[in-house]
Amino acid sequence: MESLSGAPPEFDYLFKLLMIGDSGVGKSSLLLSFTSDAFEELSPTIGVDFKVKHVTVGGKKLKLAIWDTAGQERFRTLTSSYYRGAQGVIMGLVVSAFYDVTRRDTFTNLSDIWAKEIDLYSTNQDCIKMLVGNKVDKESERVVSKKEGIDFAREYGCLFIECSAKTRVNVEQCFEELVLKILETPSLLAEGSAGVKKNIFRQKPPESDASTSSCC
Amino acid sequence: MLSGSSGTGPEFEHFDDFTLASSWERFISEIEAVCRQWLADGPKNLLVKDAVRMNHVKDLYKVKSEFKYAMKSYCMEYYFSTSNDGKVADWDQTLHGLQLSFGVITPQSASGVVLDAPEASKLLSAVAIALSNCSCLWPAFVPVHDPSRKAYIGIQNMGTVFTRRLKLTALVASSVHAKFQATLEQFDKSDCSEIFVFVHFKMKLTYRTPICDDEDELQEPDADIAESSENVENETHGKTQWDDDFPWSKWYSAEDPVKGFELLVIWSEITAESSWIWLNWKMLHHWKLISGSYIHVFPKIFDHFIQRDGRVLHEQYGISDGSTIGFASQLHLLVKALEMSSDAKFIEDFVSGSESLKSSGVVPPPTVLDRVLKDLFHEVTEAQLDSSVGEHKSSRSIKGAPLESLFAQFCLHALWFGNCSIRAIAVLWIEFVREVRWCWEESQPLPRMPANGTIDLSTCLINQKLHMLAVCIDKNRQEFKGHNVGTNDSVTTHVLLEDLQIPSELSASHGASEGFDRKHDRNGSAGVAGSMMLLKSCKIMHAPITQDPPPMTEDMHEERLRAAEALGDSFSFSGQLEKDILASDMSAFKAANPDAVFEDFIRWHSPRDWENDDSEEVGVSQTDAVKVSEVKWPPRGRLSERMSDNGNSWRKIWNEAPPLPASEQKPLLDPNREGEKVVMADVDGSGRSEIVSCSYWSAHVLHYLETLRPYQLLEQMVCTAFRAAADTLNQTSFAHNASINSDDIEDLQRLCATFEHIEKLILLAASLHRKFFNSPHLAQAFFSDCYDYYLPNMGTASAHGDTNKEFDKKQRVKSRDRNLIVGMFTPPTANQSWRKVLSMGNLLNGHEPILREIIFSKCDHVSESYYAAGTPKLYQQDIETHRMHVCGTSNDLRVALAVTSFD
Repeated sequence: MESLSGAPPEFDYLFKLLMIGDSGVGKSSLLLSFTSDAFEELSPTIGVDFKVKHVTVGGKKLKLAIWDTAGQERFRTLTSSYYRGAQGVIMGLVVSAFYDVTRRDTFTNLSDIWAKEIDLYSTNQDCIKMLVGNKVDKESERVVSKKEGIDFAREYGCLFIECSAKTRVNVEQCFEELVLKILETPSLLAEGSAGVKKNIFRQKPPESDASTSSCC
Repeated sequence: MLSGSSGTGPEFEHFDDFTLASSWERFISEIEAVCRQWLADGPKNLLVKDAVRMNHVKDLYKVKSEFKYAMKSYCMEYYFSTSNDGKVADWDQTLHGLQLSFGVITPQSASGVVLDAPEASKLLSAVAIALSNCSCLWPAFVPVHDPSRKAYIGIQNMGTVFTRRLKLTALVASSVHAKFQATLEQFDKSDCSEIFVFVHFKMKLTYRTPICDDEDELQEPDADIAESSENVENETHGKTQWDDDFPWSKWYSAEDPVKGFELLVIWSEITAESSWIWLNWKMLHHWKLISGSYIHVFPKIFDHFIQRDGRVLHEQYGISDGSTIGFASQLHLLVKALEMSSDAKFIEDFVSGSESLKSSGVVPPPTVLDRVLKDLFHEVTEAQLDSSVGEHKSSRSIKGAPLESLFAQFCLHALWFGNCSIRAIAVLWIEFVREVRWCWEESQPLPRMPANGTIDLSTCLINQKLHMLAVCIDKNRQEFKGHNVGTNDSVTTHVLLEDLQIPSELSASHGASEGFDRKHDRNGSAGVAGSMMLLKSCKIMHAPITQDPPPMTEDMHEERLRAAEALGDSFSFSGQLEKDILASDMSAFKAANPDAVFEDFIRWHSPRDWENDDSEEVGVSQTDAVKVSEVKWPPRGRLSERMSDNGNSWRKIWNEAPPLPASEQKPLLDPNREGEKVVMADVDGSGRSEIVSCSYWSAHVLHYLETLRPYQLLEQMVCTAFRAAADTLNQTSFAHNASINSDDIEDLQRLCATFEHIEKLILLAASLHRKFFNSPHLAQAFFSDCYDYYLPNMGTASAHGDTNKEFDKKQRVKSRDRNLIVGMFTPPTANQSWRKVLSMGNLLNGHEPILREIIFSKCDHVSESYYAAGTPKLYQQDIETHRMHVCGTSNDLRVALAVTSFD
């Protein structure tokens, strides 16, 4: 994945990505590592954070709008609105789920909380889910095996990758793989394609297909 | 043509001499030539040629040929079937009537003219000779008398010295019984050489469940079958509809898709001494009573409504004819209204619009409008607010509104209001919005809407807006109450405050180690937070009452997200709203725990950022129940690295947050916040932010509702109406689950069609479920038969597929279901019992069978000498010497007699 600094104004697709998971698993660090090649201890996210990155994948110019949510329970009712696959121009909602390999309960929360949140709030049935095991640099503290991660991903139909925001191992690959998968999914592409102004209040296209043409 | 006849191919090489032929002989040879041709072709070739399929019969075809003789033309028809199983089963419905009557294979008849007796017998002998010439075993028939009498005489060459003579007569009306008796006796006496004549006897009786006329009062079939308790109340009103207690009955009354059932009772073979049968056959009326060892009971029942005629089903389920009224038909109209709405800018246009519009849509009188509004706004029971009942799991993905919500009920009413024309919808909507505005202005709670909770973004925008308004009205009412109680003009709601203080006082008295410090009174506590102790003070940590996140509709969310994305890369966005919430939580926490430090707050709010030295306490969060009874103090641990960083934004907010219980805080629902640089709506100048924000957002909502474009309204109505209609039907209880598959939907019209299919099936299932309440496996079996039969047409707009296909699935009744089935035949009422006068017996609960089929046959032992030399296939055996087939209703009974005789 080549990062194009300088943010060109044109792009073929706009994809909206969302990061969810327990607090402290390193979502913000991963995002920072991806967007600015840097690693630092960040203040815990308050509610939500947002970053944009332009990339070129598979010959397509992409604008990635990445929403980074706080894991604290208190913020959860609010962050639910970020699952919606809607923004001004073009949409392709993608959700990445995280767990921290150094903490056992972040793994169990994946199925207890986060998978359910996706089911409940996601408005796009085809959205690509990706499980990212962060902090592989702390191999000695590992509490969740790679196999467990793979098993979970298989059960919930996710992509799976292990990475480290600190060492930047697999960070680019993580986003690249996710984006490639979106590019392979026609329904997501249609929503994310540039130039088509979509009715953002529309949750599912079929109900209003007949009307799109006659809409003012 | 079946079995034996197909094997014996005729020889073509033999020579016929026509030189001396008379016109009669030429006529015979013409028939013979045709018969030979038909024989030679066999069913398969005939099918390729010009065989015609008989109407509504699966496997019966005919070919015909015309002849002239003595200035008259005759037509000869040959009926055959293609299934070469070689056996003719009794009660096979695919057979021609004559085949049924005589139990023979392929009848052949000349028809189309009225023949007098000599002509008929002359014709018959011509055919008989022709058939005999080509060694054909087909029976032949010619009609006698008027065609309406359906009387025939016939003859069949048995391939032996025997010839079977056949006679079919129809008996009409009043004389049926007497003639039937006489015929039976004649049959009995036809061969009196022996005293004890053993007769084979088969009978099939078809009973039809009584059909309830409109004049007749509907009766419960059986106390065991229907849930009597439910219907007691209804019955006192006299007339009830079958679907009165089904969920759709509020909106429309459907015709019962299952009109009734037919019960087939079959006695297969009984061989008995003839006099016994004559005495007893009429008494064979209740199959339950005689299901003993000597009679094999073989009952079947089937859905008569569907069975009657395949086309009935298709017409009933047809799409565009508009004959059936249901949710589907109304949704069709709504979609039409949606089409029309695209041209207009204002809803009002449709009310005061052009003449053509006025003529197109009839608006019901004001009384109807009043009734609808009254139902929507005033007659709301608490039970209706439980919105999750009966909601299908996939209905959430339709952007509508919960079934019992105000907007969903509005949409359902709109479907039935003035035939759902755009004009009627416009009238109803304007009144609806007027009523909503009244609720706001008079501070009346908005009915059918929750006044709290978070706004569900998966619902349509109108529903979200109404929810928002309901919350605002509720806040306003609380404010109003507060003013009544207190005398000062503060923002505080006193009632609320008093409530809040109760738990804090209670917990304070429980906290043993807690010293009372009047200066630091606890305020706004929601109770103790697990077993956690404060760090710097030996007190139990209390969780504060926090402000609800502000209700936000999706357009408000859109606004925020757009603002954030517009700032994009250049700005490190962090939601101001979320910061406000955090600050609010901190203030409330400080108020509830006056001695708390930042670390305490983090332990409660973000437990992962507190690294506890005591391993036992790992993972304690605010939701955990009290586990440790003895609490060590002070707790030891430290903030996580990221939380303890210099310049940590959390600590900054903490330092700035004043201790303030939620009830005294500035509300989060504040129009002045953040990027909303919209011009403020008129403010009453009081400066009270609660009131300001409520007025602002309410004005916002009402403005939205009042200026909504017709198209936007209709779009949301379509979604909501679909969802509400589906949810309504989904409340129907029955075993089988038919669900709407939203993946297959291509467009709205197709969706309507699919919906109609589903609706019909649900009605069918509901009806079956009701009728077989105590026997769900039967209901299930019937339904899946119908479903399988119907499935190929699902999802297609045109239901006119293979209309010739008949639904004729039957279910065998098991012994455990017998009482249930018999119970469906309620004893006839007084005005029905006149029919008993003509009764021929075989009554089932007083019901005469609608159709009888009885076969008597008698076999004689025939010795070898009787056989003709050229038929080596037949060996010594019993042959059927007499056979009587009685078939028909009591008013139209046909008797077919076949007598085999030695020529």
